[in-house]
Amino acid sequence: MTKVMNKVKSDIYDTFLSTKFELLKHYRRNRIQMAVLMAIALASVFYLIPTIWDIGLAETAGDFAQLNLGFANLLIIISGALFAGDIISLEFENRTGLILFPTPQDHNSIFVGKYIASVVSTLSVLTIYYLVTALEIQYVYGLSEISTEFLKSYLFSILYMCGAVSLIFFFSSILKGAITSTLLGFFSLMMIMPITEQVMKMVEIEPWFIITYYGGLITDFFGVAQTSGFGPGDRFEATFAPDFYTGLMVMLGYTIILFLLGLFLANRRRGE
Amino acid sequence: MKRISKLGLNRVKLSLKFGKLILKVRWVKMGIMMNRLSDNGNAIKVENLVKRYGDLTALKGVSFKVKKGDVVGYLGPNGAGKTTTIKLLTNLLSPTSGSAYINGIDVFKDPTHALSYVGALIEVPGMYDYLTPHELLTHYGRVYRMGTDRIKKKIKQVLRTVKLKDWEHKKIEEFSTGMRRRLAIGLALLPSPEILILDEPVMGLDPEGIKEVRELIRNLKEKEITIFLSSHLLEEVSKTCDKVIFLFNGEVMAYDDIDKFAGDSQHKKITVEFLNPLSKEERKKLSSLNSINKVKVEGNTATIYNSKDKSNQAEILSNMIKEGFDVISYSSGKQDLEDFYISLVNKKGGNL
Repeated sequence: MTKVMNKVKSDIYDTFLSTKFELLKHYRRNRIQMAVLMAIALASVFYLIPTIWDIGLAETAGDFAQLNLGFANLLIIISGALFAGDIISLEFENRTGLILFPTPQDHNSIFVGKYIASVVSTLSVLTIYYLVTALEIQYVYGLSEISTEFLKSYLFSILYMCGAVSLIFFFSSILKGAITSTLLGFFSLMMIMPITEQVMKMVEIEPWFIITYYGGLITDFFGVAQTSGFGPGDRFEATFAPDFYTGLMVMLGYTIILFLLGLFLANRRRGE
Repeated sequence: MKRISKLGLNRVKLSLKFGKLILKVRWVKMGIMMNRLSDNGNAIKVENLVKRYGDLTALKGVSFKVKKGDVVGYLGPNGAGKTTTIKLLTNLLSPTSGSAYINGIDVFKDPTHALSYVGALIEVPGMYDYLTPHELLTHYGRVYRMGTDRIKKKIKQVLRTVKLKDWEHKKIEEFSTGMRRRLAIGLALLPSPEILILDEPVMGLDPEGIKEVRELIRNLKEKEITIFLSSHLLEEVSKTCDKVIFLFNGEVMAYDDIDKFAGDSQHKKITVEFLNPLSKEERKKLSSLNSINKVKVEGNTATIYNSKDKSNQAEILSNMIKEGFDVISYSSGKQDLEDFYISLVNKKGGNL
């Protein structure tokens, strides 16, 4: 029993070390700095442009949040690709010490640590994005205008982010090239899935199992139904509306299943 | 009174528990010692190791032992199974069958414990160019559960050993290939290993880099670290190792002291100088003479590999004279590692 407990403790510490090391790597590669700058820039667009051009801000805090947080989806995808796109594939491509140095560290701890580092980095960027938006709302409309919907939107976006990171992590585990895995992760969330979504809507099948189908829900908390989409015009819009609870399940499913699959495949690749 | 006796009872219980704990710790320590003693001073022991990749059998039942403090070369051509053996030894691969022990500890059953004695450099590991040696070594120091002070001390010590002490805080992107390789060896030395496993440590290095790494290995040898070094370069092994294991097609073909190989083969190599360069017919005739295993001819000099021992050297010479060869000099000498290796591979019907 004590032996098992010691092993668990040791594995947790190893996972922590791996996470810390990955965060250091993201920092040294200037990725965290880039993503943070991007988050601040995106969160400032709908405040700075109307202010500079003097065209007036959104009338209500809800409208402002809805406009501003419209970039959350994009930010999650870019940050996810930045932090998880090559997290496994690059180690195999460069045959780094992490793969080739035999240490007492269990490889599951290394891979789990890598995943956690991707999630933590993306979450930090997302949090900064929400914080800047909250500061703008507080400055323009007052502190009382930061509603519970804002918090709900934040929590929902975290879940969406976990699903997206798991998907990108999965691609990084199966693909050999670091650039290929990063691009596939990015374009699958940015283009492939949204196109598939639209095609399915066109043939009147609800794309309930596609994670990007629920991306719009991040801003739907502010009382606006999702109408925007990818594709030529709005002919296929409003046929289906994504269900919140199904969305939660799908995102949880993506997060857990793709993470575990990625972990399994990364371990299998190591043994090849 | 009652209180006192209760206190006494608690003390007895406590001392019993403590005694049990001490006993347990001693038992574990004894187990480790027994493990290590039972292995008769072997740092590495490999038994019938088999590794298959689909239809390809990379290792066909490899067995060998490496004594503590030995510097053993693991020699074989590319594709012989050297890296596979090393990856199995370091638990980076799982075997199809067989077992491997480090200091008597089963690598496949208790890898964490077994690998705690090992530092290894496998293939040519990619480095994180954007990090500094300090950052990299600090991370690995923590992985080996070293305290902050010990990490700092070890980093200085290791970087001094691999002659990179002035580069501790420089980014690895500024390093040459040789420096990177030395850093990788430094990484392997960080946990103060009893056993150092090096896979092709000089591969891809320029002569200067080769010299530096070779010097480093010689220095480590003096520190009585057991070194297991794989290479396809005979020169590398002959210059750094005391013993050599010949591996070919996933099989161990020979294992002994380097000097012994050369000693056994004494008088098997004969250098003959002729008056004139040999014609095609003369070369053919020479090869067909009795007791001659193989002949290499360059101009008017021939290297003859005697199939027997020195007793028939006179016979070879008299046969040559009988056949009309104008011999102007005839000398026998030690066969070097390369000759021995070639003859072994030839025996197995392989090509290098």
